[in-house]
Amino acid sequence: MSVALAVAVGGLFAVGTFLLLQRDLVRVVLGVAVVSQATFVYLIAMGGIDEGAGDLVPVLEVHGGGVPEVADPVVQALVLTAIVISLGTTALALVLSYRAYEENESMDVTEWKT
Amino acid sequence: MSGLVIAPLLAAVTTAVLTLALGRRPRIQRAASVAGSVAYVGTVSAAVWTVVLGPAATGAAAYQVGDWPAPFGITLVLDGLSAFMLTIAAGVGVASILFSVRYVTAENQRVYYHPLFHMLLAGATGAFLTGDLFNLFVWFEVMLIVSYVFVAFYGTDHATAASFRYLVMNVFGSALMLVAVGGLYATTGTLNMADMARRLAAPDAYGIDPAPVVGLSALLLAVFALKAGLVPFQFWVPAAYTAAPSPVTAMFAGVTKKVGVYAIVRLYFTVLAAASVPVDVPGLTAASPLGFLAPVLGAMGVASVVVGGFGAVGRDRLGAVFAYSSIGQVGFIAVPVAVAAAAPPAGTLRGVAIAAALVFALHHALAKGLLFLSAAAVEDATKTDRLADLGGFAGHSPVLSGAVFVGLLSLIGLPPLSGFFGKFLALDAAVRGVASAPGPSSTLALVALLLGAVLTILYATRVWVGGFWGRETTAVEVATVESGQVAVLVALAVAVVLVGVGFDPIYRFAETAAAAALDSEGYVDVVGLSGGDGA
Repeated sequence: MSVALAVAVGGLFAVGTFLLLQRDLVRVVLGVAVVSQATFVYLIAMGGIDEGAGDLVPVLEVHGGGVPEVADPVVQALVLTAIVISLGTTALALVLSYRAYEENESMDVTEWKT
Repeated sequence: MSGLVIAPLLAAVTTAVLTLALGRRPRIQRAASVAGSVAYVGTVSAAVWTVVLGPAATGAAAYQVGDWPAPFGITLVLDGLSAFMLTIAAGVGVASILFSVRYVTAENQRVYYHPLFHMLLAGATGAFLTGDLFNLFVWFEVMLIVSYVFVAFYGTDHATAASFRYLVMNVFGSALMLVAVGGLYATTGTLNMADMARRLAAPDAYGIDPAPVVGLSALLLAVFALKAGLVPFQFWVPAAYTAAPSPVTAMFAGVTKKVGVYAIVRLYFTVLAAASVPVDVPGLTAASPLGFLAPVLGAMGVASVVVGGFGAVGRDRLGAVFAYSSIGQVGFIAVPVAVAAAAPPAGTLRGVAIAAALVFALHHALAKGLLFLSAAAVEDATKTDRLADLGGFAGHSPVLSGAVFVGLLSLIGLPPLSGFFGKFLALDAAVRGVASAPGPSSTLALVALLLGAVLTILYATRVWVGGFWGRETTAVEVATVESGQVAVLVALAVAVVLVGVGFDPIYRFAETAAAAALDSEGYVDVVGLSGGDGA
């Protein structure tokens, strides 16, 4: 499980970095989003993830039964906060890219006037 | 008393909401914004006096948000270091907002300028106060999102491009910060900085393996250096500083940059100083993460001094000169911090060097705030800030030029101005660093500071001779200086002089702040960790 997560995080970071280095503005904004997603997966993984099993679900199987072990709620709270921040930032990046397009009449960063 | 800790934050956020609601009533909005910044100064003064400086002060106080006990909830801590930084923020904040009211056009002030400004202040305040690593990330983001909007504020092609680049780079920085924070959480099992300090001081007792902390803290160092604009992360500074409205640039230079410096000091000296984590990377072995910080931050500081100094000498616009100068001046703050990191933990050098860095931070906030605002006033009057088109301003407007003169002399470091003590103490720390650990690196730091001082004299002279002396150019002849703006500048210039003349209490405040930064145990005690021992 942790190997799969490591591969996912690494892959997302690689794709995000590749997109960030593109000339096209929209791809850069996508890169911003993908890099953020990579950190979210990473954060969740930092809480420690166990293989799914019947006694791990947070919903009790039987009423009045013993409380099963639950996943670390702290990282989930962190990720929710980070997702909200990332949503705002990505939206702002999209608006800025449109504005930059209006000013420069090009989506290619290398053709910018400044 | 603990309520006072959160009071500055509440003042800033309340003002932001209030000014947003008053968007349709520009005059009342402006009045509310000024009143809010005065309230901010009031709450900061009250909190700093009651908690840190007053006769009955305890030295530090904590506020547990939502009354959640310490390691589980978010803790806000006001100690000497936070108090010193908040005082800087309050001073620069009130000056910038007073200047903004007379400088930014009424159209541009409508609706969003004032709420954003107070959110910037709130972000910085939160970052200075928080005792929780993830919460620090959140306050950084609050500050950054406001900064993106301010850099793009005028909506020109230059501003949009600067803002977009600034955004992309900082998103990557934030991603790195999240990686580091998540990693530290997985390593130490806590996000509370006091709890982290306690656990890292005795890793075996808590059953943690602290080895990853070195690399993770290095990631954080990179992020904080990006915020502080240290070389090699300085390239966003000139474009962003020249694109943003000038009063906001004064805030960027005086407050936002200092958040990065503050975070480095807080993380390494309060949280990681006691950690017994051996560093073993190629070319570097040390007993604690501070041994890693010393050479890396030292190199960044030296490079910043050189790059900023040479960059400033070659610019032909006032704003660009001061933006590059800012890069160099942050180097002057970073080098003493590196000296402190290299110093032995037992001696007095560590405290002296941190105090030197803090005094320089205060000087830079005041003097550079004064100069950025002066450049704005000059540009407002003449519609240009090219040194080639300026000249003879000293004869045209002696009061404004006098304020600039004070700022430039303070930058050079002439007594009795604030810059004299800033530069003197920074050099003093570097000399002591050479004495305590003779070697090529400590000598290089000292030489770089001296070179930086010479470069400062060069570009300050160039600005004065090119822009203010000599014959009046056509742009200057028709210029009309706005008296309200000049009043703010004069007040700042007087503050620069007063800090230098009445330096003793300020140095004692800086010493208190440095002692608080180094006192991990005191920090842990104030936070009052009542639970979480069993983990």
